[in-house]
Amino acid sequence: MKLSKISLILAAVFALTGCVEKEIIDDVNIEMGVGYDVSEEGEKIEGTVMIPIFNPDKNIGNFTFSATAESNRDLIQEVQRKSAQPLVTGSLEIAIFGEKIARKGLRQFIDAYERDASIGARIYFAVADDKAKEILNGTYGNRGNAVHLSQLIKHNTESRNLPVTNMHLFLFNLYQEGKDPYLPILKKVEPEIVDIVGIAIFKDEKMVEELPPDKMFFFKLLTDKFSEGSFNLELEGEKVSIKDLNSKHKMKVTKRNPHKVTVEIKIEGLVREYTGKTLSPDVVKKIEKELEAIVNKETTAMIKDFQEKGIDPIGFGQFIKTKTRGFDFKRWEDEYKNLTVDVKTNVVITEVGIVE
Amino acid sequence: MQQPVPERLQISPFLVLYLIMSMQIGIGVLGYQRIIAQAAGFDAWMSVLGAGLSIHIIVWMIYKICQTVEGDIVAANVYVFGKKFGHLISTVFIVYLLIFALAVLRTFIEVIQVWMFPEINAFLYSFVFLLLSVYIIFGGFRTVTGIAFFCIVLPSYLLLTFSFALKYAEFRNLLPLFDHSIKEMLTSAYNMSLTYLGFEIPIFFYPFIKDAPKSQKWAHLGVFLTTIIYTALAIVTFSYFSEAYLAKSIWATLEMWKIVTMPFVERFEYIGIANWNLVILPNICIALWGASMILKRAYKLKQRKGVIIMALICLAAIPFFDTRLKINLLNDWTAKIGFAVTYGYIPFLFFATMIAKKVKNK
Repeated sequence: MKLSKISLILAAVFALTGCVEKEIIDDVNIEMGVGYDVSEEGEKIEGTVMIPIFNPDKNIGNFTFSATAESNRDLIQEVQRKSAQPLVTGSLEIAIFGEKIARKGLRQFIDAYERDASIGARIYFAVADDKAKEILNGTYGNRGNAVHLSQLIKHNTESRNLPVTNMHLFLFNLYQEGKDPYLPILKKVEPEIVDIVGIAIFKDEKMVEELPPDKMFFFKLLTDKFSEGSFNLELEGEKVSIKDLNSKHKMKVTKRNPHKVTVEIKIEGLVREYTGKTLSPDVVKKIEKELEAIVNKETTAMIKDFQEKGIDPIGFGQFIKTKTRGFDFKRWEDEYKNLTVDVKTNVVITEVGIVE
Repeated sequence: MQQPVPERLQISPFLVLYLIMSMQIGIGVLGYQRIIAQAAGFDAWMSVLGAGLSIHIIVWMIYKICQTVEGDIVAANVYVFGKKFGHLISTVFIVYLLIFALAVLRTFIEVIQVWMFPEINAFLYSFVFLLLSVYIIFGGFRTVTGIAFFCIVLPSYLLLTFSFALKYAEFRNLLPLFDHSIKEMLTSAYNMSLTYLGFEIPIFFYPFIKDAPKSQKWAHLGVFLTTIIYTALAIVTFSYFSEAYLAKSIWATLEMWKIVTMPFVERFEYIGIANWNLVILPNICIALWGASMILKRAYKLKQRKGVIIMALICLAAIPFFDTRLKINLLNDWTAKIGFAVTYGYIPFLFFATMIAKKVKNK
């Protein structure tokens, strides 16, 4: 009696294995990078899908499919038709949007990424300067393009000046009222090298502003909870290179109607390089003061610039909302222009390396 | 008063904790955040806490009812309404438990279809799942309890995986507190119904608890732990999503697994959802056991037959729910019926029992 029941369950279990679509890793094309551009004629979208090719000599090659279509949906159809094996999205690493596409708006592309359960929340979005296809068509590193590009972004967010970014954070900011999203801009500078050449700032889903690389350090100080980065400055004709190990920012509403926000930035860093003779404690003090002044000046100017353009990637609107009951975002759009932001920076140089 | 259950079939009082928790945690927890945030926004976590605390009153009432009539729901209904009418009302509970089991099973299959295998056959999967449930119930109530125990303990590690989302948590999202009206908060609390359902089960197995009054504190503790888990999860979710983002996420809990990365697994959802089989197994076992128990007590139908009939009805109903819309409707109705039963009928039964007791004593 009991045995027959168990065997019945077992039989059913084995019968069930045939019920779902099998995806054997050797028999699928693993889509690892995707790019979108405006096609030559201007109206249509040109999509590029990159898959890795695992060569017998352990090298990882790249292969790209391109197709042109009216919409993102049609694009997938087109690409699938050209592919000999089904394309699967489960291990996508990066999606790159051409600058023209980004300026037109990303919403129609993003939907597919949100809806697909097999796409992870950690994939990277990036904007290409100027065509995504160009970037995907190169050969970088020895681990395949997609892995190279995602590691490029990862490394730059972890210890350099790029603010933390991934699909989840982009969506979080996109849907957060009173905050605008931003993405890194990639550019193929040499046949085998891709560089991060700035940050694209969006208004809702449309890219409106490009932040040059030398401003990224200040931008990151304002957007990330904890950040690391590096910065070079000049002091009395000598060059100093500073590595920011740990910085935090804190916002406070100090006045209302019109609103005034104080941003306190705290930077802990060390000196990496100094071209002068000796790095005495006096000089270190001066460096600290100089850096404070620069950060104050640059961030204030940057925020002013954002206010004039009506974009808010730092999220002042969201911040004031969390401090106000019954906050009205409609009125905020006007009020944002009149917001005064006061930046106070405190720099502490903790170490100067192993020589004075 | 009903025939006492022999001691060898009874369970220890502390196991009630696992029974209640395993029945409460099921499919609601996979996506309740969006539903409660619709009314009260990111203040809704307070509604979760409030709703959880209000459950203790109902649990207290259930124990009072059972102690007074010295039996389960069937005994209570007979005590208050007499045999014929009492059994009729007990039948409503059979329907409730069946719908509950059906909603849990179908929604879980939907999760599998959306997140893992779009082509899985809902009927075959239900067949195997129900077969397993029936097999467990054949082992008696003690086996069902054992399953409930393991299905809380084994998947409990899943709670740790939500710490990955903490890295991206923006707790400022929760501010300002109390930005919503009392009415909106109450709506949110009401919308928690489906997620909290399951705490009422002691009314079905009360006679099976050894030294039953002693188990009351464990029942309260179980409900309290579930409340803490739900509240904490709501807070993590609200800080991980922005409001408009959450409004689009049907399964927010599962979506938080999309950020998990471990060296040995690219995507954690697959492990999580597979593990969730264990979480919903006691849901179905307890519901089917309860339904067949009422059948046996009210209509003298042998429990083994009853279980099979209940499972077959469940299985037959599965193919009718084939779209998201219909499954949603099923869940909505389960929530509504569950709310009516727990917050409507049980307090009513409580007062009716108290009055009946006074009248009978005279």
